[in-house]
Amino acid sequence: MLVTILDVLLAGLLLGGIYALIAMGLSLQYGVARVFNVAHGEFIMIGAMVTWTFYTIVGINPLLSAVISGPVIFVIGFFLYHTLFRYLRTKSITHAAFESNSMLAAFGLLFIIQNIALIIPRWGSEIRGYTYLASPVNIGGAIFAANRLVTLLVAVVIGLAFYLFLMRTRMGKAIRAAAQDAITARLMGININLVLALCFGLGALMAGLAGVLISMCYPIHATMGLEYTIIAIIVIVLGGLGNIPGSFLGGFILGLVGSVVTYFEPGLALVAYYLIFMLLLILRPAGIIGK
Amino acid sequence: MKKFTIPLVILLICSLLVIGCTTKTTTPATSTSGTASPTSVKTKDKILIGMSRSLSGPLAQIGDSAFRPIYETLIPEWNAGGGIYVAEYGKKLPIELKIYDDKSDTGTMVKNLEKLILDDKVDFIFPPVGTAMIFAAAPIANKYNKLLLTAEGGATQLKDALPGMPYVFINLSFSDWYEVPVLGQLLQSKGAKTAYVIYIEDLHGIEYSGVAGRELPKYGVEILKAKSVPPDIKDLSTILKDAQASGADAFLAFAYPDQVMLATKQAMELGYNPKAFLGGPGVNFGFYHTTFKDAVNGVLGWTVASPKQSPELKAMFDKLYAGKPEELQDYWGHPCYYAAMEVFKQAVEKAGTLDNTKIRDVIATSHFQTVLGDVYYTGQLLDKESHPGEVGQWQNGVYEVVGGKKPTAEFIYPKPAWPK
Amino acid sequence: MSVSDIKTGFSYKKLIVPAVLGLILVLLATLPVYTPSYTVVLMITILMYIILTVSWALFSGPTGYVSLAPSAFFGVGMYTAAILGKELHLAGMVIAGGLFSFVLALIIGAITLRLRGIYFAMFTFGLVVLIQQILLWWEITFTHTRGRFVIPVDNTTIYYIMLAIFVTLTLTVIFIRRSKYGLALQSIGQDEEAAAHSGVNVTLVKVFTFAISALFMGAVGAIVATRWTYIDPYIAFNPTFSFFPVLMSIFGGMGQLYGPYLGAAIFAYLEELLITNFEYYYMLIFGIIMVITIVFLPSGIVGLIQKWRMLKWGKGGLAKDDANT
Repeated sequence: MLVTILDVLLAGLLLGGIYALIAMGLSLQYGVARVFNVAHGEFIMIGAMVTWTFYTIVGINPLLSAVISGPVIFVIGFFLYHTLFRYLRTKSITHAAFESNSMLAAFGLLFIIQNIALIIPRWGSEIRGYTYLASPVNIGGAIFAANRLVTLLVAVVIGLAFYLFLMRTRMGKAIRAAAQDAITARLMGININLVLALCFGLGALMAGLAGVLISMCYPIHATMGLEYTIIAIIVIVLGGLGNIPGSFLGGFILGLVGSVVTYFEPGLALVAYYLIFMLLLILRPAGIIGK
Repeated sequence: MKKFTIPLVILLICSLLVIGCTTKTTTPATSTSGTASPTSVKTKDKILIGMSRSLSGPLAQIGDSAFRPIYETLIPEWNAGGGIYVAEYGKKLPIELKIYDDKSDTGTMVKNLEKLILDDKVDFIFPPVGTAMIFAAAPIANKYNKLLLTAEGGATQLKDALPGMPYVFINLSFSDWYEVPVLGQLLQSKGAKTAYVIYIEDLHGIEYSGVAGRELPKYGVEILKAKSVPPDIKDLSTILKDAQASGADAFLAFAYPDQVMLATKQAMELGYNPKAFLGGPGVNFGFYHTTFKDAVNGVLGWTVASPKQSPELKAMFDKLYAGKPEELQDYWGHPCYYAAMEVFKQAVEKAGTLDNTKIRDVIATSHFQTVLGDVYYTGQLLDKESHPGEVGQWQNGVYEVVGGKKPTAEFIYPKPAWPK
Repeated sequence: MSVSDIKTGFSYKKLIVPAVLGLILVLLATLPVYTPSYTVVLMITILMYIILTVSWALFSGPTGYVSLAPSAFFGVGMYTAAILGKELHLAGMVIAGGLFSFVLALIIGAITLRLRGIYFAMFTFGLVVLIQQILLWWEITFTHTRGRFVIPVDNTTIYYIMLAIFVTLTLTVIFIRRSKYGLALQSIGQDEEAAAHSGVNVTLVKVFTFAISALFMGAVGAIVATRWTYIDPYIAFNPTFSFFPVLMSIFGGMGQLYGPYLGAAIFAYLEELLITNFEYYYMLIFGIIMVITIVFLPSGIVGLIQKWRMLKWGKGGLAKDDANT
């Protein structure tokens, strides 16, 4: 019995690690850069597919290839904000207009990225996968896959590193300032365009890294993005829109919920997610952890 | 008020353009079956075949790996030989394919099919992707008296609806036709007594688990538990651990590649080694081996044929797979679709006409020589006697046929342990 | 301007609009007679998109609440057709589909219309998926089936029913715009608090309008189901379907009444062209067009037309009705 509880709890944390990472990425993009990036999942997909390509064709191990693919994805995200979304920002009359315009532009990006991925030779629409660190690890009688444990570890490390970055560095302070009030921040001398583009890029980076981790544990394919985007959205509502540490914690909470519900009735896991999502929206839009 | 005039005029012009552009011929009431009237002069220089395929969206991965390689191989091959000989025109007619993307959306597929039939006036239609689409396409095919030889998809529910739809022929094998009973025989032969089933929340899963529930006990196998899983399930570990705890001899995953791959991966990671491990669609594809390499040995799946069973099959598999990545291989669907295409060609030749109704009658009543050997239809289903195999097992990196009419290897039970 | 205009204030120009509308209606009504059968099929699809877009814009336009619920109401209509199709007469089934959606919208509206902007959008999006998943689980667990068949209906009948829904919707839209009710809607969109202070029953107006827009979505869902003949929770409650009315409205432009009509018609036809000519790249091109539209045509085609008229004739400028849909 105790082992079962441990089982379910740990499984929830393992799942939650990935959720936390992708939610943190989206939270950066929406909370600071104010772009409701529905194409977030596509960056996850790129990270996953690129890792698969490196591993199966070139033979580079996933964690190592992340060192290459990560920065590349960051640059792509940064560039996208610097061109597309910054332009939209200048063209949008009201704040609400920018939010809805950028969401729709992101939707267009979703189609573009996904369909380019479908056309790339050797990618296409088929399911891909590989085995890496697929051996069992025994923790107190409960058995877990090594690659999932590594995933959890990496997610936590990234989360902590980012937290320190936010709290201790000057750029981190600039980001927090921009999150609170972009206009005042600019008045204070912060290069707001740089900060926002940086945040968007960082968000994309986190998505890409999540993709690397996901590809280690699950089968992947070119159309996998949207379901992760949706989970990220649910988590950032759970944690409170714009609350970055909140979305990180929220990811773990959702992972636990998923694991518990799946234990009893797997078919209701998504139902549980959406019920929580909708209830929170009505009752406590600031999120469970929100201020 | 005034500001309405210009936009309204634009709207009017647009609608007239729409009408104008889509009016191909003004002659009313051309026969809906697309045949030439028997008394007019026969001139035709090609056979037009239309399809609505899911080239984007979630079904794309099924369509691209299943039927697409078959028609992309055979149609050019036939055309290189001049095409199909149609006695009505006294010559061989090459085939032109017209393909529309339905983005995995049923509504678009329906519209595409009607466009192909009504607007493009295709001679024949080839099937859309997946069982749900086939369900929606079947009534259309029958409404316009067009032959529909199905490819990816098949289900008992469809089988039951066939009598009212004479133009539809199902080619893929499925649960009670005749895979699960053969599985039962295999398990019984090795003394397996219990099974743990997971099935996807989909027509496929419901049907397979239902059939398993009826058939397996007949062979002395008791189903300890049957758990349904949603298509987006990300973590099967709790279920796998439950299966392990139950001590079942066989673990059966009636699901699609996403879940089958996940189950395999996680079973390896958790060290769950049942005596028999079966996965639905997914195991029969080359990408299963590409992904898991040696770990696949001993895993069971569904199949129809193996290159070892006959020189014709070997020739077909070589033609389809030589020089291409292993991931594209499919030992369950490809032989069926290939045979169906051969049936199509031979039926057109035998009927001597492009009249769908006559060809349909030929298919329903004749025998055909294809890669699978002698093929014929019983109640519009490709008869199970035409299946050289039903259950497959990976052994030494080769997907052998272990259950069915012509096994190529002995069923290995218990399954060897997952490699470290 | 003629002397008679100044004297009587009557101008033949005022008759042009109803005349043109009437002509269009006659053309549409007689379409099945003089065009090939596929045109009817195409028009059914175009009408479906127009109805969904215009009913979406009916509520979301003036009030500014972006609703992503169209799929939910559409799906309710589809399932009504699947379940009640055999019992009820066709027209009754369509009306029933509309009514069930109406009731659902009343409930949802009452609960959620106090949420702001993005929260409302996310909630309505979540609603679609929630219904989809619950229905899926229900079908698997209790009825042991997946999906249902719908009675097929011939295309000409479907076309006329769609036309009827289209006309009813247009009349509703025009009526709402011209009435005090429409004025109330606009005032809510511009400043909800001020509207409340000036005596508008904000909640009632919002919820009721939301429900009316849902009614049409449900009705069209019911009739479209008879074309698709096989539906299941994923087909009927498809969240991406909710985005299309939004996109088409923006593409057409929200500044004028006819914007959503234009946007939906052009989009639907464009989709048809792309699918049949560029089948492998269709979705990619679609995405590119979307991004271009958002970036360069934020006020949609309507905005483009107005700019063009400004350039050509110096007419237009900030039209009075700019804040309307």
